[in-house]
Amino acid sequence: MTMKTTREVKGVGLSIPRPDGPEKVTGETRYVADLTPHGLLHAKLLRSPYAHARIVRIDARRARALGGVRVVLTAADVPALKRKAPTRAHAVLAIDRVVFVGQPVAAVAADEPAIAEEALDLIEVEYDVLPAAVDPLQSMQAGAPPVADAGTEADTSEALAHSGVAAAKADAGPARAANVTQQVRLQRGDVAQGFAASDLVIEHTYRVPMVHQGYLEPHAVLAQWDRAGLLTIWTSTQGSFNTRSEVADVLGLPENRVRVIPMECGGGFGGKIRALCEPVTALLARAAGRPVRYVMTRREELEAGMPAPQVIIRLKTAVKRDGTLMALEADTILESGALSSAVLTMSGVFLGSLYRWPSFDIRGFEVLTHKPSIAAYRAPTAPQTTFAIDSQMEQIARRLNLDPVEFRLRHLVREGDPMANGQPWQGHGGREVLRRIAEHPLWTSRAEWSAGGGTNGRGLRGTGLALGGWIPGLQPTGATVRLNPDGSLGVLTGQVDIAGTNIALAQIAASAYGVDIEQVRITTGDTDSAPVTGLSAGSKTIYTVGAAVLEAARDARRQTLEIAAAEMEASIHDLEIEDGRVTVRGVPGRSITLAQIGKKGNLYMSKVPPVLGASHLAFSLQAPAFAAELARIEVDAETGEVTLHDFVVVQDAGRAINPLGVEGQMQGGAVQSLGMALTEGLTFDEDGRLTNPSLLDYRMLTAADLPRIETIIVEVPSPAGPFGARGVGEPPIIPAPAAVANAIQDATGVRITELPLTPERIAMALLASRASSSPSAAAPGEVSTR
Amino acid sequence: MPKHVLSCTVNDEPVEVLVRPYETLLDALREDLGLTGPKEGCGTGDCGACTVHLDGQPVASCLMLAAQARGRSVRTIEGLGRRDALHPLQDAFVRHGAAQCGFCVPGVLMAAAALLAENPRPTDEEIRYAIAGNLCRCTGYTKMVAAIAEAAGVGPVREGEP
Repeated sequence: MTMKTTREVKGVGLSIPRPDGPEKVTGETRYVADLTPHGLLHAKLLRSPYAHARIVRIDARRARALGGVRVVLTAADVPALKRKAPTRAHAVLAIDRVVFVGQPVAAVAADEPAIAEEALDLIEVEYDVLPAAVDPLQSMQAGAPPVADAGTEADTSEALAHSGVAAAKADAGPARAANVTQQVRLQRGDVAQGFAASDLVIEHTYRVPMVHQGYLEPHAVLAQWDRAGLLTIWTSTQGSFNTRSEVADVLGLPENRVRVIPMECGGGFGGKIRALCEPVTALLARAAGRPVRYVMTRREELEAGMPAPQVIIRLKTAVKRDGTLMALEADTILESGALSSAVLTMSGVFLGSLYRWPSFDIRGFEVLTHKPSIAAYRAPTAPQTTFAIDSQMEQIARRLNLDPVEFRLRHLVREGDPMANGQPWQGHGGREVLRRIAEHPLWTSRAEWSAGGGTNGRGLRGTGLALGGWIPGLQPTGATVRLNPDGSLGVLTGQVDIAGTNIALAQIAASAYGVDIEQVRITTGDTDSAPVTGLSAGSKTIYTVGAAVLEAARDARRQTLEIAAAEMEASIHDLEIEDGRVTVRGVPGRSITLAQIGKKGNLYMSKVPPVLGASHLAFSLQAPAFAAELARIEVDAETGEVTLHDFVVVQDAGRAINPLGVEGQMQGGAVQSLGMALTEGLTFDEDGRLTNPSLLDYRMLTAADLPRIETIIVEVPSPAGPFGARGVGEPPIIPAPAAVANAIQDATGVRITELPLTPERIAMALLASRASSSPSAAAPGEVSTR
Repeated sequence: MPKHVLSCTVNDEPVEVLVRPYETLLDALREDLGLTGPKEGCGTGDCGACTVHLDGQPVASCLMLAAQARGRSVRTIEGLGRRDALHPLQDAFVRHGAAQCGFCVPGVLMAAAALLAENPRPTDEEIRYAIAGNLCRCTGYTKMVAAIAEAAGVGPVREGEP
C-alpha cells in the first residue's frame, strides 16, 4: 500500500504563520498570571537573605494574625518535606538550614498581594549565619563549607532531556571534597606523547559566568484542589507530564490525582523544565481550601531562579606545525549552585568530540556553592564549551597561518567517528554550514572591512566565525490524529507550544495524511487528555513529536483508505486522497469524500469505526545539528565598546518544516548568546548576594544593540527525522560567543578568555597588550615547544 | 487602606473603577478592569511588557500609579485592534512570525504604534530605538523590526503562505 500523498498538499516546507498569532498580537492569549478564578488567593514567599545559615527560630504568629492572611506555611507545617532534597522542586521550604540567598523559608497566601507582602515582614526568622562557599574553585577544596546535606545524591536526570551524550557515565561523589558532587573523566590515546611530539602548545582558562535564561514571563503557578482531593495546576512549563511527575513525587500523590494544564509559556529556554514553585503553591492551596496563584518577581527570578552554571575550562592543546592535532587536556568545572544538576557530562564530552583529537584527557567536576541551583539553558553548557574549543581552534589557525575555515574543516568529526565517550557520530551538516558561511560576502570581504578604518579614527574592525555542534535530545512521545465528521483533521499532543511548533506539527500531519494545512487543527492537551508527550526542550519537538504526528497521520490515512476501499469495493492499492476525497486511480468519478467517511464514523447504528490514528514512539537514533555564525564588528580602541555591524547564522535544519519558524529560532538563539558574549552575567558579592538583581543591571540585549540577524538554512536530511528534519532550537545559541571573541581578536589582536566581553574587559586587555613586550614574543597562553 | 474612585478613559470607553492609593496602573488595568494584555515582566520599568499609551504616549504602566491616570486617556493592546480587525502592525507581526512566546508582544506593539503615530516612516534605526525599551528573549527582534517597517510602508511585504 502506498503511503505517499498523491499530490502536493499545502504542508511541509511552507512558511506558514502560526494560527494563534492573532491572539498573541491582540493580548488575548492567556498566561497563568492572567487567570483569576473566584476566591483566588495570592502567594508570596519569604526568602533567605543569607547564602548559608542555620535557622534558629521562625515565629509566624504575627503574620498569621494579620487580616486577610489565610495561610502561612513553614517547613514545620509540612512534615512530609524531605531533608535531603534531590531537586529544587523538593526543596519546597528550608528545613533548619538555608543554602543560598533567595531560598524559600516561609510561604503566605492572602486575599491581596499587598497583604501577603506585609505578612512576610511580620514573620520573624532568627538565623545563625555560617561561612559560605561562593567561589567554585575554593568550594572544591577540602574544608570548604559544605553545601548539601550529607548523603544527598547527585542528580543525573535532567541531562537526558537535552542530549543523549549526557548518558555518558558520570561518577557521582564522594570526591576529594564534599562539594564536588560529580566527576567525569574521558581519555583517549597517549596525551603525554602527543604533547612531547608537538610544535605548538596553547593553554588558556576560559570562564563564563552564571547567566539567566531571561524568559520574559516569570515563573507562575495557579493551584486548586477539588473536594475529592484532585489537584489541578495551571503552570508556565516546558513539559506538563514532567511537571506532573515532580509535583506528585514531592507531594506524595498518585500521578492520576494531579492534573497539569500547561498555559501559554512565556519563554522557558530550559529554565521551566523542572518544577520550581508548583509544590509550594499546591501546599498553600490545600491549606487554604481555595485557589492560590503565585507569580515570581523578576528579582526573585534573577536571585533564586535556576540559571545556567558558571563554567570554567582550562584547555591545553598541542598541534604540529602543519596543523595536525596531537593532544588535548582539559579540566571543566561546572558551578552547580546549591544542588547537583546533571549537565556536567555534556561539557566534558563536547570538549573532546567536535574535532578529531588523537589523544585527550578531560576531567570534569560538578561543584556545589551557596548560590541558586542551576538548570538547563538552551544547549546546556554548549555555548560555554564551544567558546573554549572554538577560541582555541582559532588561535591555533592564526598562530600557524592556516586558513581558519580549512583548519576546522580538516579536523571536524565525520560520520562514524567516535565521540569522546565512544558513542559514534551520526551524519551531520557541520561541513556544509561551515562552507556556506565561508562563501558569505561578509567573510570573503573581511580584509576590506578590516582595512576600511573605523568610526572617529579609533575603531578597530574585525570579522570572526565559529562552528557549533550539538546532539539534540530524545524522549518517548505519543500523538493522535482524528478525522472529523466534516473531513477536517484534529491533531492532539501534550506538546507545549512556545515558539510556534504546533503549526509545524500540523504541517507534518497535513503532508502525511494528504490534506491542505487549512484542514488541520492541532491542540495541546493537558495531562488528563493528551497522549504522554515529552518536554519542549532539547531541540526535539519536531524530531520526536513530529515523528509521532507523522506516524499517527499515516495511521489515520491508512484507516481512511481501508474504510474507503470497503465502501467503494475497490482495492486499497488503487486509492488516493486528493482535494478532500478518496479517489480510485484510473476511474474518474468514483470517489468518497473525507467528510462522508468522517460522518460514518459518528452515525447512530453505523458499522464504520471512527478514524483515530495513534502513535506512541520511543527513539534511539539521534541527529546531530550544527550551526555556524559570523560576526562583523568594530571595537572602540579607547572605550573597548563593541559594535555589532552584521551577524549571520547558517544552520542545518535537515528539512525546514516551517522556514519562518526555523528562522525565528536561529535569530532568537543567536541573540541570546550574543547577550552571553557581550553583556550578561549574574554577579555575586563575597557573601553570595546577587549584585545585579534587576533587568537594568542584568543587561539583556535590546533591539538598539543589534543588527538584523541574517539567516541561511541548509538542509542535510537526517535519516530518522520527519521528512528529514533535525532539531533547530539549540544549535543557534552555541557559536556566537566564540564568533564574537574571534572577531575581537581579528580586530585588536587581543584574545579575551572570559565572558562577557564588556568594554571594561576589552579596554583593559588592549591597555595590557600595548604595554606588553615586542610583537615577536608568544602571546600569553602560548608555548612553542620547539 | 481605603479605595478611591478612578475616572478615566480606557480604550475609548469612559470607566470608573475603585483603586487602592498604592495600586499601579498596570494592576488596575489587569486586576480591576480585566485587561490582561499588558504584562508584568519585571515590575521595575526595565522590560517594557507593560507598555500602554497614556494620552498617546507610551508609558511603563508598572511604574505609574493608577491614580495618575485620572481624567486621562489610556490605551492598551486590547484597544489597538481586534482579532477580526487587526491594526496593520498586528497583522504584520502575525505574517512575519514576530510573536514566539508572545509575552513581550503587547508592549512591543504599543511602543511601535506610538512610534508610527509620531514618525510614520521611520528608518530601521529609528524603529530599533523606539522598541529598545522592550525586551524580547525569543525573536532576536529581527522579525519585529521587519514587521514594523512593513506596517509603516518602508519595508518589504511578507505574504503569509499559503
